[in-house]
Amino acid sequence: MASSPLSDFLRSYLTAAIFGSLGFILVGLLLFLSYLVRPNRHQAQKYLSYESGVDPVGSLWSQSQIRYYIFALLFVMFDVEAVFIFPWATRVEAYGVFGLVEMFVFIGVLLLGLVYAWRKGVLKWA
Amino acid sequence: MLLNQFLLLAAILFSIGVYGVIVRKNGVLVLMSVELMLNAVNINLVAFSTYHGLGGQVFALFVIAVAAAEVGVGLAIVLLIYRNRRSVDIDQLDELKG
Amino acid sequence: MLATLTQAAADSFQSPSIDWHAFAPELVLIATIVILVLVDAVKLERARPLMPAIAGIGLLVAIIPLATLAAEGGTRSLFEGSYVVDSMSLVLKALFIVSAYIVVLLSTNYVAEGDYWESEYYTLLIASVLGMTVMASSRDLVGIFVALELLSIPAYMLAAWRKGDPRSNEAGMKYYLMGVFASAILLYGFSLTYGVGGSTRLTEIGRSIQEWGTDGVPVVTLALLFTIIGFAFKVSAVPFHMWAPDTYEGAPTPVTAFLAVASKAAGFVALIQVVYYCFIVRPDIIEPVFWVLSVASMTVGNLIALRQTNVVRMLAYSGIAQAGFMLAPFAVVASDPSASLTALVTYLVIYAAMNLGAFACVIAISRKTRSAEMDSFGGLFTYMPGLTAALTLFLASLMGIPPLGGWFAKFGVFAVLVNADTGLGWSLAIIMAVNTVIAAYYYLRVARSMWFDDVPEGVDAVPVRTPAGITISIAVTMGLTVLFGVLPAAVTNLTDFSSVAFGG
Repeated sequence: MASSPLSDFLRSYLTAAIFGSLGFILVGLLLFLSYLVRPNRHQAQKYLSYESGVDPVGSLWSQSQIRYYIFALLFVMFDVEAVFIFPWATRVEAYGVFGLVEMFVFIGVLLLGLVYAWRKGVLKWA
Repeated sequence: MLLNQFLLLAAILFSIGVYGVIVRKNGVLVLMSVELMLNAVNINLVAFSTYHGLGGQVFALFVIAVAAAEVGVGLAIVLLIYRNRRSVDIDQLDELKG
Repeated sequence: MLATLTQAAADSFQSPSIDWHAFAPELVLIATIVILVLVDAVKLERARPLMPAIAGIGLLVAIIPLATLAAEGGTRSLFEGSYVVDSMSLVLKALFIVSAYIVVLLSTNYVAEGDYWESEYYTLLIASVLGMTVMASSRDLVGIFVALELLSIPAYMLAAWRKGDPRSNEAGMKYYLMGVFASAILLYGFSLTYGVGGSTRLTEIGRSIQEWGTDGVPVVTLALLFTIIGFAFKVSAVPFHMWAPDTYEGAPTPVTAFLAVASKAAGFVALIQVVYYCFIVRPDIIEPVFWVLSVASMTVGNLIALRQTNVVRMLAYSGIAQAGFMLAPFAVVASDPSASLTALVTYLVIYAAMNLGAFACVIAISRKTRSAEMDSFGGLFTYMPGLTAALTLFLASLMGIPPLGGWFAKFGVFAVLVNADTGLGWSLAIIMAVNTVIAAYYYLRVARSMWFDDVPEGVDAVPVRTPAGITISIAVTMGLTVLFGVLPAAVTNLTDFSSVAFGG
């Protein structure tokens, strides 16, 4: 069969489309089933937002504590640096000792940053 | 040829990003617009690397990592300004002029 | 994507043999950064007085391998030509490291007395210098990009270093926004360059672009324009200069000196790499672009500098104008590439000396006047004659008065433009001459205020002691400025790049 890049491309998307529509159908089916079997009584109270038995007050936008920010930032840093570790990890043997040493130097430098953050007291929760 | 579609997508994303940087007043939204521009670059690089080998994909990885560092610093500066001025509106930054 | 990537990488993987000697300056800087962070992490507050010393020693040690490499001579190529150590990159690395050392000398008192975070200041400064030295050797798009970010990201933080001062915050924010916007544009240019060139290595891109020929490859033009615009932000060329005056005024003054000299030089180095190693085969595109940038920068920079009342701000606009002079050799790059390069690098070296000197004087004087407003400099001669004379000398050099270094730098660029004997070259030479005259006016205004005006009301004409670090840096930069003017061979011997090969 002559396969141009376009038809290959479209075929792989066909798989995705079938998969996606299956997902929608399944969810729809389950929701429909539960609609058939569940009791159906409307009450105004049911439409209030539930907040552990307390009446909901205040604005929807609540500002989170600023200290979360440092943790988020640290997480993003280390998370993204992993982008360099994954390719290495899949082929560890091929890179041999050179790759191992290289990666430990890389991780060592990253750890240095973590040690620094820890000593400066950023990791404390207060 | 599928390359054109990807380049077009990247060009559109890039233009949206440029528009956002120029028009938006909120510092955080400007940062997000810059991210759009960088992701346009990544799409370009990966699309080209289909034809030119892996250099582009490696470049894209570096762009991702550096962008994270950039945004980290950017958010820190935005936060610093918020602490001093209680606002992240960059059009209000007008102490220095001339 | 990762699977194919690693597969292909591993199938052909051989550990590269690394020329450690060629890498030594960078390694020394990396070691300095690690030591700085460790000392800071272990000793915390008690580390503060140690930091400038460690940073200074690290920078001085990094010069040793530069000297041994220069003594051996020759060109060392690492990683299949992605990283090249040749005579040009050695000169530029020396320029960056020496400038950074002078900035450390200038910062010591400023940072310690201002009660700013001290340990991180020096760590970030050295990290930025590391980026610059890597930049001087990179011959690969990825290398240039990473080096550019490594030198910029610490600089964003340094610009906002006075945390409590909204002006410094604003300086940092403006620098940051313009910087990331510029690097996004630059990266878009790089991605297109990679697309037309088929490789991230500059020499191979140059070869591909040559093969495309001159017929109808608009994407080459597009790639080149985006790349140049990205760098134009970094070197603060008009019309991409808006950040420079605000950032220079708001940032701590030693940081301003660093940005104005080292960071700007690094931007030019990146331009040199990209223009000389990949786009030089298309002078029909690059020459007009640089002509426009150069004319706009020198004219607009000078005209706005005329009405500045703050000396640091005036120096910022004068820096924009000087960037115009430095861009000029690019506009005639095809006529004689190595002569243009020599003129440009000579200008960079001399500019670094005289501009650092001028900032050192402003820092020393501001210790007394507590401001950089021109009025507050009135009558300075009556109570601080030494500094007045020094600043006047640096301003004269920036103006281009013989026999100082600035004169020789301008003369070199002028000679290249005239020798090129093209329409672009001649027109640029004439515009440059006119601009040199305009520039004289605002430099002289500062000098006149210092020498002839009265001391402003409420100022006791009592000199303050200038710290040894600042005195030394003024002495060194003054010596170099005069030396380069009287004995130009001192710098031209270093910047003779006629043997360097360019293009594909």
